[in-house]
Amino acid sequence: MHVHMVNSIKPKTAANSGLVNCLVCHQLAPIAATHCQRCNTALSSRVKNSVQISLSLLVTAILLYIPANIYPIMSTELLGKTTQSTIIGGIVLFLEHGSYFVAAVILIASVIVPIAKMFALAWLCYCATRADGIKQYELTQLYRVTEFIGKWSMVDVFVVAILVALIQLGEIMSIKVGFAATAFAVVVIMTMVSAHQFDTRILWDRVDQE
Amino acid sequence: MNKAQPHLHACLECDLLVNMPDAISHRTNVHCPRCNHSIAMGHNNAKQYVLATSFTALILMVVACTFSFISFSSNEQIRTINLLQTFTELYTQEYYFVAVLVFSFILLLPTLYLTSVCLIILSTFRGFEIVPSVGLGKLMSYILPWSMAEVFLIGVLVALIKVTSMADISLEPSFWAYVIFAPLFTHIVSVIDSHRLWDWIEQAGACSHG
Repeated sequence: MHVHMVNSIKPKTAANSGLVNCLVCHQLAPIAATHCQRCNTALSSRVKNSVQISLSLLVTAILLYIPANIYPIMSTELLGKTTQSTIIGGIVLFLEHGSYFVAAVILIASVIVPIAKMFALAWLCYCATRADGIKQYELTQLYRVTEFIGKWSMVDVFVVAILVALIQLGEIMSIKVGFAATAFAVVVIMTMVSAHQFDTRILWDRVDQE
Repeated sequence: MNKAQPHLHACLECDLLVNMPDAISHRTNVHCPRCNHSIAMGHNNAKQYVLATSFTALILMVVACTFSFISFSSNEQIRTINLLQTFTELYTQEYYFVAVLVFSFILLLPTLYLTSVCLIILSTFRGFEIVPSVGLGKLMSYILPWSMAEVFLIGVLVALIKVTSMADISLEPSFWAYVIFAPLFTHIVSVIDSHRLWDWIEQAGACSHG
């Protein structure tokens, strides 16, 4: 095996050596095998229609991100007066109260991370279908970051869950969940599944073909 | 099974074939030479270490579920919640979907993951499988991306910072148990690499079948 000869003319991959990698237990099998011998998972050399599935889930996430921002994520009842707050409204409220740290955390987790993630996924899908030269290494790094930050967007849903549980003092002060919490949770799940369905190996297949 | 080339591994992110070394020294990573994906991590005493820390984490989880979590007092009214109320309160407000998500992400899936790894390691020692190890291994690979203990911890901290300005907060035993549990869980996940896990599963299978 010439695995350390990275710059050799043709890198040896599982696909061009007649092997297929199991995505669950990471064991190699002959390319003709339909199921993994060790864990019985269905095998395929690349995730089928990876870009299409990623893109469709991404579009679902983008569409759901609209109600997630329009509807209130929670409503606070303080001495009989009810105020509803959206995600953005909540951030503005924290800024007015001077809690810059909380505002920053919510802003990063609920606005910057999901939007950055959507852009990153769209860019990855675009590059995977583009014909000419792409930067595999940088795109793989981008994918890793996207996959890592995915679940951190859930912070906002958890904050609401804790506040709703904790602040229940009847008419004095109580908090109720809003529809945006559901929508936002689905947005996070959709982007996570979308990232998971994206197969970075199709980016590297270009090196093989060149 | 590839008995002829047991140490050949295909990189998950770029499909390059990598020759795995026979022994990986303690706490060093094997990276893919082409895309730098971390393939495996060496650990001298992984089996005992993972079993001990997973058991600790499970005990902490039991503690976190039995005692009260946070108590909150305002205008001489006191409300104390336990960890379970973070999702049961969502359930009573008829947000069933979000309630099930929060329950799964912070409690069910991390607990299932740790129980599975404990059962797999125990079957390699005792020579019989209580639950088939292959199934547990597959389950672990499916639930790992959805375990969000550390994200929940950040959520709790953000919620606390938000509430401290409104009322008096006191942190109860189960809060501290979760504060230790979340980083410990993240650490355990980083020590279990899939190579080692599937070696254990093969050992467990070999023990129980002859």
